[in-house]
Amino acid sequence: MSTVVLMLVDCHIYGRLKSLHSNKSRDADTGERADDGHSRLRPQPGKPAKVAGAGDPGNTNHCQNLAVGLCCAPWRGILGQPLVKVSALVGVAAVCAATCAAPCLSARTAPRAQAAHKEMAAAADAEKKPLSTRVVAYQIDAKLDPATHSITATESLTYLNLTGQPQQTFPFHLYLNAFQPQSTFMTEVRLSGTRGNDPDSAWDAKNFGSITVDKLEVDGMGDLTGAMQFIQPDDHNAADHTVFQVTLPKPVAPGATVTFRMAFHDVMPVVVERTGYKRDFFMVGQWFPKVGVWWKNQWNCHQFHATTEFFADFGTFDVKLTLPHDEVVGAGGDLVSTVNNSDGTKTLEYRSEDVHDFSWTASPHFTDAEDSWTGSAGTVKIHLLMAPGNMASAPRYLRALKGTLAYYDKWVGPYPYDRITVVDPEHGAFNAGGMEYPTLITAGSTWWMPKGLLVPEVVVEHEFGHQYWYAMVATNEFEEAWLDEGINSYMEVKVMDALYGKDTSMLNFPFAQAGDGEEQRTSYLGAPDFDPLTRFAWQFRSSGSYAAVTYGKTATVLATLEKLIGEEKMQEAMHTYFMRYRFTHPTGEDFLKTIEEVSGRNLRWYFDQAVYGTNILDYEIWSADSDRVNWYEKENPLTRSSHQQVYRTYVTVHRKGDFIFPVDVKVKFDDGTSALEHWDGRDRWVRYTYERKAKLASAEVDPERKILLDRDFFNNGRTAESDDRATHKLLRIWVFTNEWISQLVAWFT
Amino acid sequence: MSTSQPKPKAFAAGASLVWRRQRILWWIFVVNLVLAFMGAAGASHNLADDAGVTLNHSTEAARRLVHGFDMSALQELGSLPQDPLRGTSALAALPSILFLLFMLFATGGILAAYYEDFSLDASAFFEAGARCFWRFVRLLVYFVIAMIPVVIIGSIAGKIYDHIDDVSVSPYASVWFGCAAVAVILLLLMAIRLWFDMTEVIAVAHDERRMHKALRLAAGVMWRNHHSLFWLYFRISVIGWAVFAAGLYLWMIRLHPESGAKALLLSQAMILFWIGARLWQRASEASWYKQYREAQAVSVAPPEPIAPLIPTEEELAGAPR
Repeated sequence: MSTVVLMLVDCHIYGRLKSLHSNKSRDADTGERADDGHSRLRPQPGKPAKVAGAGDPGNTNHCQNLAVGLCCAPWRGILGQPLVKVSALVGVAAVCAATCAAPCLSARTAPRAQAAHKEMAAAADAEKKPLSTRVVAYQIDAKLDPATHSITATESLTYLNLTGQPQQTFPFHLYLNAFQPQSTFMTEVRLSGTRGNDPDSAWDAKNFGSITVDKLEVDGMGDLTGAMQFIQPDDHNAADHTVFQVTLPKPVAPGATVTFRMAFHDVMPVVVERTGYKRDFFMVGQWFPKVGVWWKNQWNCHQFHATTEFFADFGTFDVKLTLPHDEVVGAGGDLVSTVNNSDGTKTLEYRSEDVHDFSWTASPHFTDAEDSWTGSAGTVKIHLLMAPGNMASAPRYLRALKGTLAYYDKWVGPYPYDRITVVDPEHGAFNAGGMEYPTLITAGSTWWMPKGLLVPEVVVEHEFGHQYWYAMVATNEFEEAWLDEGINSYMEVKVMDALYGKDTSMLNFPFAQAGDGEEQRTSYLGAPDFDPLTRFAWQFRSSGSYAAVTYGKTATVLATLEKLIGEEKMQEAMHTYFMRYRFTHPTGEDFLKTIEEVSGRNLRWYFDQAVYGTNILDYEIWSADSDRVNWYEKENPLTRSSHQQVYRTYVTVHRKGDFIFPVDVKVKFDDGTSALEHWDGRDRWVRYTYERKAKLASAEVDPERKILLDRDFFNNGRTAESDDRATHKLLRIWVFTNEWISQLVAWFT
Repeated sequence: MSTSQPKPKAFAAGASLVWRRQRILWWIFVVNLVLAFMGAAGASHNLADDAGVTLNHSTEAARRLVHGFDMSALQELGSLPQDPLRGTSALAALPSILFLLFMLFATGGILAAYYEDFSLDASAFFEAGARCFWRFVRLLVYFVIAMIPVVIIGSIAGKIYDHIDDVSVSPYASVWFGCAAVAVILLLLMAIRLWFDMTEVIAVAHDERRMHKALRLAAGVMWRNHHSLFWLYFRISVIGWAVFAAGLYLWMIRLHPESGAKALLLSQAMILFWIGARLWQRASEASWYKQYREAQAVSVAPPEPIAPLIPTEEELAGAPR
């Protein structure tokens, strides 16, 4: 074990050295130094990475990924021994190499040790492989015109046909076309809103967003621009142009590749839904033609809906961005080179591997605050791109981000990328905030944000969490949004509670507090019984129901599940699920089966109700009272005070909702004794009767508040004695408010 | 004209008047409290006794509302199917309207008591109130009309704010503009309120039925004495707001969440002082105007009579022929 710890330390040293090496290196093609501070831990393809400390200039390491670099290299550098001579460490090193140091974590923490050993064999094979199955390889060359808020670009997409069958028709997303008045997206926004209701009735040119594919060629098949055809697989709205398909003259054989070459033109809308511009701030997401996913034996390429997010295959992105020289740019990739052009522009080249999307942001007003964090997979370079006026939020973002990195590293698994960029949108661009892309997230704050309101912290935590539940465990956000948003919300509560306290992780003022978990639960209470978790995102009753169920209810369902199977098992299940399904597209059933497998319990009864159903869970103390056994005799005050009087106490527990769940019932008596009952909760009600020399003090169902799905906590407990303090407190506040309003009104006289 | 006026110590005189005629203050406070309590009692009843909630017997209520103030607990109460918070806003509106009517009625008596500096008995108070009630209702209509330009200015300022916010990279530009606009609008509101306050004083002092005439007179008085009057009104406003803010601070920050009686006393003391501050403004204005009239009477006192050139009939009749 100590060797492993040493190796971990070395991994970090290596990470730092490599980072230093990378920052000092000059780009081979341009001769310019990549000096923006973006570290490059991962060697570039075709450019063997030099091993720091190897002592042999000719000794190159052909590691394909960060894990290999982290775990093989220090070994030789520190111990000065060939790898084969220290066979005792081979297994551990291989684990690090293949799983990007996750098993390092496993080995370091006792609960994970077994899992680490199990993964060793697979890890050894994975040493030579990328982190993901790379289906797509995008090469995009884009030029931003800030004056017209438009982007002109060319795209080359090489698609590897791993579908197991010939493919002739390929669908593509054109997300930016959602920002048209008659699109399906806008129609749904008008019906029930989304992230705000913008644009409102004042629809004008600035609200339009579009993407136009001017030319489409396929290598070896010629110009197929004329073969492009808009399709509407979800609602047949002919005005919706968010998906097109092209049928090739000949099919692509299984295992073969096909290369699409497109010229396209984006017109960015004023920031509306995660993307767009505000003044000279640009948040550019979902901006290029993106191929659909072959999933469950068919193409999965939904239209863009008001409540849906995204789904795409893993691969590589090589993106060149040409924009004015004064722009400060952040992107979801490693900066490979910077070239200053003679026309006052610069061209930045980025590369990103094992991701399924690429987004970027630009503004001449960003302040780039850099930092770093070191975890089990090495050093992560942090870029905070802060908007003017919001610098006070930077330390808050950083604390939340580093805390989240640490807890995810400890509880879920390693963060394998060497970077994370946090974008603080400029004021007025709030709709660009609170969004996740691979290795780039957008946050949200204001210049006046009070410290007691933990919005910046929650947003950063949540969006970073999506690096796990979306960027790596890439579930289908169109069809099973609860798997990314819901699981992420559950983890958000765990991390926020650990960082900021259970009861103060959302609101922390001296006069009012609220925990993030309670907020999630309250959100769920807003629409508890309209939609199951598993509904397709655009088919929810409303955007409000979508949010309440997908975020709030899922978080509450999982928090209740945690109480049911135990925190340790739940943590292990989350870790197992992540490690097993990262860089893949798992389904809801994969997640649920993992929990059952890890917990060793059949939980179908729970999943059927909580995940697939809409039943309400509500248990209440319907009645609770004590009566003298010898009620027919006159009560003797002496007998009562000396606890000699025998009372018969009745407690009736009622299942108000249709959700069946086993519950505990705790009955307290006025002599300090208590009784704990366990009810399977199946019948509509149950009554407990006691005969004791004590009267009832209180009765409480689920006394430890394990069942967070319970719709009404206020009816869970009943005291024998009336306690009007809460009512009086509310009454005081209302009376004062009424008096105050009256005074304001009377000002008119 | 104004130079010949005395310098009335209306600020102190007003405070003294409120103190000496404090029965008015207590009556207004009690009426306000009773009406507010009536408005809140319905919601309180829902919470205490509504089937399924029974807050008075709920162990959860004590944990989340008594020992602190968990905002999500309040949200949860609001989301329950039986909605125990139902009607709180509607019930809050009714007492406010009733209180508005009460103040329309009482203002005549209040100003008469302050202007005359005399303890009116009930019948005199109500008589004064009844005499001025419809005048002040008409004045309320004028007040709403006078507010229209302020609303327009506010709307224009809002549009300018939006524009600055839209074009400015710094979030502060619009904020500073917003602060300046709010300050200007507040000053305008104060000026209008002061104008109408003086109109009411004049209406009582002169027993003037025609409110448009009283408004003109008040405008003239204000025009000539804008500095001293505004300073009088502004000082008391600042004191009222400062004490209110301090009270809120004590209540929200310093007071223990479980302290029931102290919180009640503090909250009511805040309201009492707020009412007192408003009455202080009224009393100061009445006192100022009384002293102003007295000064006017002295400064424009008729000159010594001059012997008429044309004898009267009596003189002619009594004169030797």
